[in-house]
Amino acid sequence: MSAVNIWERMLNIDRRWIFLSIGVISIVPFLTKIGMPVSTTDEVESIFNYVDSLGKENAIFIGFDYDPGTQAENTPMGVAVMRHAFHNNVSVFLTAYTPLGHGMAGGALDYVTNPAVPGYYSRVDFSQWADLRDAGVTDKDELVAAWEAAGHELPEGSSGWVFEGRDFAYLGYAPLFYLVILGMTASIEAQYHQDANENPLSEMPMLREHKSLREVDLAVTVSGSSACTAWVIYGREKIGLPVAFGVTAVSATDYYPYIQSGQIIGQMGGLRGAAEYEVLLKEHGITETTDKAFTGMDVQSADHILIILFIIIGNIAYFMGGFHKQKSLKGRG
Amino acid sequence: MKRTVPLMIVMVGGILMMVQYFIPHQYSQAIFDAYVSWAPIIAAFALILGVGSLTRVHAHKIKRKSQNWQFSWAVLIPLYAMPILAHLWPVSLAGGMDPPSAFHFMFMHVQVSIQSTMFSMLAFYIASAAFRAFRAKSALATVLLLSAVIVMLGQVPIGDLIGKWFPQIGLWILRFPNLAAKRAIMLGVGFGMLATNLKIIFGVERNWLGGAGK
Repeated sequence: MSAVNIWERMLNIDRRWIFLSIGVISIVPFLTKIGMPVSTTDEVESIFNYVDSLGKENAIFIGFDYDPGTQAENTPMGVAVMRHAFHNNVSVFLTAYTPLGHGMAGGALDYVTNPAVPGYYSRVDFSQWADLRDAGVTDKDELVAAWEAAGHELPEGSSGWVFEGRDFAYLGYAPLFYLVILGMTASIEAQYHQDANENPLSEMPMLREHKSLREVDLAVTVSGSSACTAWVIYGREKIGLPVAFGVTAVSATDYYPYIQSGQIIGQMGGLRGAAEYEVLLKEHGITETTDKAFTGMDVQSADHILIILFIIIGNIAYFMGGFHKQKSLKGRG
Repeated sequence: MKRTVPLMIVMVGGILMMVQYFIPHQYSQAIFDAYVSWAPIIAAFALILGVGSLTRVHAHKIKRKSQNWQFSWAVLIPLYAMPILAHLWPVSLAGGMDPPSAFHFMFMHVQVSIQSTMFSMLAFYIASAAFRAFRAKSALATVLLLSAVIVMLGQVPIGDLIGKWFPQIGLWILRFPNLAAKRAIMLGVGFGMLATNLKIIFGVERNWLGGAGK
């Protein structure tokens, strides 16, 4: 066998070997849990600091503007920001740009309020605290005191209470969402008469305090497409609504101009961005542990290293075999 | 008539929406609210047309037993089953959208899984494509290759282990050369969209009419 044939055989390696190696290298870090350190960047820190500066008199939107295909990257971003907001008693509106995003928003809310998840928040449904609402108790501190005085004890392991209609409103999807954003600049209730659980928005304390996007402090759009730009075009540019992006790694490069121009306050790029937010939450004592994004970074590290190895091996074979002098390679593509 | 009326609607509607955006007045807002109410209704008609067209195409394939006609069932059954399960099937028989309904099960355990799988497969194809196509064939290709390697490593914790300076180089590439190129493209696209929209609003560009009125 000549030397050229070895290089040629290497270049024409059955792609199933490549698939197998990627599969194996993706699974191993999940089993070993290496936990390599993740440093934080200005783009993510600026979002964290902004949310951290908000309190119970403030409200934010989290737009779950993605489909299930990108949930591995996008969901941890939405979850991290939601946890941060709940910790600071900031009211959170959950919306979706697409019909499938509606399910993603609900799934993220269920995850944050799931007792099986460490650091969960105990959810109180809208109907459960109707008596307190009717009695005019809507301030978060007074609400928690009254709720616990009524005999409810915060379960062990819970990070706190979250009241539907005071701490969060699951608005979900509405058709032609860019028009909905425009409409919400005048009135949120005009666009959503009721939330996804069919609770009337007119009776929600957080709606009385934040009637339109003009009275909202931030919109974090978690997106797997260009849907996030709708929040800039119709929210930021029309009424000056502060906007932050959480986007997939492949599209993160597209949105750096928005950061430099000041149109968005920051950006979580891919799983790395979500992992950075999780690290910041842990460093500031908001959560006790990091979550799925941080774990996923080990897998990404291994995969990136392998892909770079493939590139190096491919180039060695290409040049050593003298293929750079030929117009095209023989054999399988 | 077939051309003039649509052209007039587009011109009046286009100018109205363009102007109202810059007028923070209650009349302007009322016009916008009316438009927001109309738009989903018009979109709903488009949805009916789309579903009708999709049904016709796949029913035709099944009827004629065209190549891979079996897959047409995979399109048609979920297309009708999901809305029926969500809205028409009684809640007492696991209808509706809330767990543990059949719709919720199909969404969480079929649709989410399928879409996640499809997207996950990118990693495998990217690895294969990188091995076969990422070559330092020229100076420009080498710059691209090196940039890709630096950004890829800079985005993961292993980059931090190489050195604190390493991710900074990746970030510099993203924040400056990448930003400059993206901004140039975005400005070009933006001006192109503006010009095209103005041409449509003022009736210069009429291809969207199709063959109407000819």
